[in-house]
Amino acid sequence: MVELGFLDLPSWSQLQPFIATGLALGGVYALSGVGMVVLYQTTGVLNLAFGAVGAMGALIAWELVNNAGMAEGLAYLVCILFGGAITLLYGAFFGAALAGRDPLVKATASLGLLLILLGTMSWIWSDKARSLTLPTSDPAFTVGEIFVNWTQLIALGLGIVVTFGTLAFLRFTNLGTAMRALANDREIAATLGVPVRKVEAQAWLVSGLLAGAAGLLLSNLVGLDAATLTFLVISSLAAALIARLRSLPITFFAALVVGLVTAMSTPWTPVSEYRQMAPFVLAVIALLWISRKREVTIPGASG
Amino acid sequence: MIEVENLEVRFGGVTPIDGMTVTFPGGTCGLIGPNGAGKTTFFNVLSGFVKPAAGSVRAYGEDLLAMADFRRARWGLRRTFQTEQAIEELSVYDNVAMVHEHSGLSRASRREDVLGALEFVGLKMNPGTRTGTLGARDRRLIEVARAVVGQPRLVLLDEPAAGLPDEETVQLGEVIKRIPDHMGGLVVLVDHDMSLVSACCQTTAVLDFGKLIADGPTEEVLREEQVMRAYLGTENGA
Amino acid sequence: MAAGTATATGLRAPVPISGLRDISILRVAVITALLLLVLFGLPILNSNFWIQVNTQVAVYAITALGLGLLMGRVGLVSLGQIAVLALGAWVGARLLFATGVPFAVVLVMTGLITMVLGTLIGLPALRLSGLYLALVTLMLAGAIAVVLASTDFPNGGSGFLGHQEGGTEATSGAGTAETIRRPTIAESSDSYFRYTVIATALMFLLVLAHVRSKPGRAWAAIRQSEPAALAAGVNVTLYKLWAFALAAFITGIAGGLLAGENGVLFNYQFPTEDSIILLAVVLMGGIYSIWGAIIAGAFMRLLPELLNNWGLPADLLIILFGVGILQVLLTAPAGLIDQVPKDLRRLGRFLKRQVRGSPGQSADAAESG
Repeated sequence: MVELGFLDLPSWSQLQPFIATGLALGGVYALSGVGMVVLYQTTGVLNLAFGAVGAMGALIAWELVNNAGMAEGLAYLVCILFGGAITLLYGAFFGAALAGRDPLVKATASLGLLLILLGTMSWIWSDKARSLTLPTSDPAFTVGEIFVNWTQLIALGLGIVVTFGTLAFLRFTNLGTAMRALANDREIAATLGVPVRKVEAQAWLVSGLLAGAAGLLLSNLVGLDAATLTFLVISSLAAALIARLRSLPITFFAALVVGLVTAMSTPWTPVSEYRQMAPFVLAVIALLWISRKREVTIPGASG
Repeated sequence: MIEVENLEVRFGGVTPIDGMTVTFPGGTCGLIGPNGAGKTTFFNVLSGFVKPAAGSVRAYGEDLLAMADFRRARWGLRRTFQTEQAIEELSVYDNVAMVHEHSGLSRASRREDVLGALEFVGLKMNPGTRTGTLGARDRRLIEVARAVVGQPRLVLLDEPAAGLPDEETVQLGEVIKRIPDHMGGLVVLVDHDMSLVSACCQTTAVLDFGKLIADGPTEEVLREEQVMRAYLGTENGA
Repeated sequence: MAAGTATATGLRAPVPISGLRDISILRVAVITALLLLVLFGLPILNSNFWIQVNTQVAVYAITALGLGLLMGRVGLVSLGQIAVLALGAWVGARLLFATGVPFAVVLVMTGLITMVLGTLIGLPALRLSGLYLALVTLMLAGAIAVVLASTDFPNGGSGFLGHQEGGTEATSGAGTAETIRRPTIAESSDSYFRYTVIATALMFLLVLAHVRSKPGRAWAAIRQSEPAALAAGVNVTLYKLWAFALAAFITGIAGGLLAGENGVLFNYQFPTEDSIILLAVVLMGGIYSIWGAIIAGAFMRLLPELLNNWGLPADLLIILFGVGILQVLLTAPAGLIDQVPKDLRRLGRFLKRQVRGSPGQSADAAESG
């Protein structure tokens, strides 16, 4: 790679290969980000353990394929289902137990799940180098001059499908409307006859499945390492934060931006080693913009 | 005096305050109206938590809205909240002293002012008592003490008697009546208890749907038909 | 100020409630005794290795104190305090290599620089909800880990980063040993331990002094209700910043002490998950009591070594800490910030009564820590 001085921006041809990576990463961040936002809106829980959930799912899949001789497709399915199952389990117990509390408390609680999963992964699988290669990861075709493989395409495609599919789902289906009702006002939704527990359970399950899928894809795009995958949740988080934990389309586009900026910083030598800071930098810029006008929460609504 | 002119507040699709114009002349002024009329929103505008879409508030000739929220306490604004907010982990003394020190008042007079305020509202326990151990009535009184310490210029009391039994409401009324003369400042009292309002307030303004529908000497206002109608089904007029 | 002066109506003025003056003599005596025991007893009882572990406990106790201050007193959650510790360690190491300035002065400089940097980071999120602050600090932890992976720690090399590729004798066996220096009066493990403990005690005093005076009262108001605090004249943003700055200051000093303790710093010593583990141990130790910080430091640095000693994997602790977070949050009566150790207080009151001999005499305020 050509050594670039600080002001020498990489050329288009140097950046090109990283566009595919960036979009793929962005797609996965969108996947995870959308799951987080929907869960947050429905239950008030910002699940910071999503990265850990995906990581563990991926490690389980690795274990099944390499040490139990399971067929790859089945193992990947297990990974995704594991994501759904463990998230649902957490939600059923701790989601309910902490239901009335501040979102900050709920998010902090999810850190408990993160540590439990991280510790378990560390204990069972330790730090050995592993890789999980999806059959779709061989370079498949070229778009222009860029080599693209199916995994990257699936990642981006899934991100698009999930984002806009979820939008449609929330808008047009009964369950989706119920989720939006919960997001708006949990208590009123309950008095209107919305089956709150059931709806929340669905939100937990689906967001968990998405986390599992994201873990699987990321283990391919980035690498199969428990700590790395766990904290890649930060990238999805940045996207969700930029969307103010509200808007799905913004989550999607922010995720793409995060993915692209991270990937395309690779050939730019002065910042290349620091490119994983991109989500942090982008989120801070977004926050500075958001906090221009301060909002204070006021007690006592009626008056 | 406090002059409010064409005040307008908009939240999303709602207009809690819709062209409110009123003057609070002095002494103790009542502000009443059915639930949702905009009274607490009005207080929130005065406190600086809500930015009005239009209108002005001039307090003793100064533009109140131009000041940053926390600076208004330094100017002399004090306020109580619907749900009492006396700080549980601090002592009674510290609760009141805190307002004194953050309002830029001199350290030299602090002890005197704080103890004076506690005396004024009638709190007799050891000021070192931790507030968290006290009952609702005492905490209410601490809130009032915090609102009157150190020569305030404008005291906003938001339903100070809510949940108190009749006897204590009357006692509270006595305290409130004495605020303008003893501690200085203009008092605006929001409450649903009409007997409290008529006991303390010389003038009263009535809000309904964010608009002023009546204003004047309390006795007359409470007898007006419009006012009774506004309250029909929610509260009984005096 | 004369105690117990009566006003005209007979209302007795309280014994001064603010400041450090009213802490009961008994308490001071007990704490002093414990301190002396730690300073002189521990080095005698422990081997070199364990003394070094205990030095680390002290360092992380300071860090835990900072986080406890933010969470317990102000209600702010920071998930990046270990990143701040790393920052402090980096700055301390760099200054110690680059200058010949006395160790204590370097510590203070480190504290100040870390304070400025740490506060700048928190600034964007301080005006938004607590959730956003927690998220930004989590991202900071990740970001700093990334930066450290590339810049590594100063090891006597030249240039701004002060890092020599290939390492020094301490790390790779080649060239001359370049370990971070210690104060001239405290070069040995035992004496450095004492130095650290004294520094720790000073940090605790600093925080205590804040809590019992104007900022402490403002923080209590902010914790309970921000609008009410604003209405009382508290500049909420300023005081939140102040808490953040104080936490960063003491954590920076902790970092400097850690640099001196380790001699050589490695970037894997400050992984992102440590910031979360710190949160867990602070919650478990009790965010409302000063002692909780010491317990937290012990959980974080002593327990893993004990487990190693007994042949158990340290990963189990991480799982335990995760469970700890959930347990604490589930049982806290009204929220993250309401971890009042009621039993400890009751115990304190009981002891006091035994000593004083008359029930319910003194003000409750004198007991709140």
